[in-house]
Amino acid sequence: MISIQAEDVDIGALIAGAKRPGMGAIVVFDGIVRDDDIREMELEAYRDVAEKELGEIAAEAKAKFGLLSVDIVHRVGRLRVGENILVIVVGAAHRQEAYGGSRFIIERIKAGVPIWKKEIRRGGSTWVEGDHR
Amino acid sequence: MKARVRFFARFRELLGAEVIAEPAPGTSFLTLIRDVTRGNGEGHDAVFDEGGAFREHVILMRNGKRIEATDAGETMIADGDEIAVFPPVSGG
Repeated sequence: MISIQAEDVDIGALIAGAKRPGMGAIVVFDGIVRDDDIREMELEAYRDVAEKELGEIAAEAKAKFGLLSVDIVHRVGRLRVGENILVIVVGAAHRQEAYGGSRFIIERIKAGVPIWKKEIRRGGSTWVEGDHR
Repeated sequence: MKARVRFFARFRELLGAEVIAEPAPGTSFLTLIRDVTRGNGEGHDAVFDEGGAFREHVILMRNGKRIEATDAGETMIADGDEIAVFPPVSGG
């Protein structure tokens, strides 16, 4: 499952759906809204392009690390502290590939997929400045 | 000839989510964005520097593919193009 969506995702269902006979490890990355003295976080995406790029990153990670499954769900809209922002579920034969693939995917998303965060505070709001061009 | 220009995040707040432009044949990417942002001082200044060049952090896409800001003056708009202009990404 590769998706940009407003709705939350059932991580347990993703794990259950990822399992294959040759799989020995699943790594779950769950990025959540941190309480940096904010009320809410607003997420915006260039949806069509972001979803296409997530699919390309998943395919690249599968080829590079020999992954048996990849699911990526990135949420958009208003999220409260503690809510899921990004869920990555990666399955592989062994833990090394699963950890490596998961790390590869999150770093690639942060480096270039067109999604933006805005922190909503009591006194106003600010866009999070990305490190990457 | 029509082209759809989309802005995201801070640029969207300043310039609006999208503009349907009708550029003349032979219009460059750079000229189109200048035309679309003209008349919006704060929005224009967020995208362009004092010399009229794209600010260093501005990211440009044409039909879902990135293009270099340095090529924007020589890249011509085609009918039906979707152009995107946005600040550095911060997802994940």
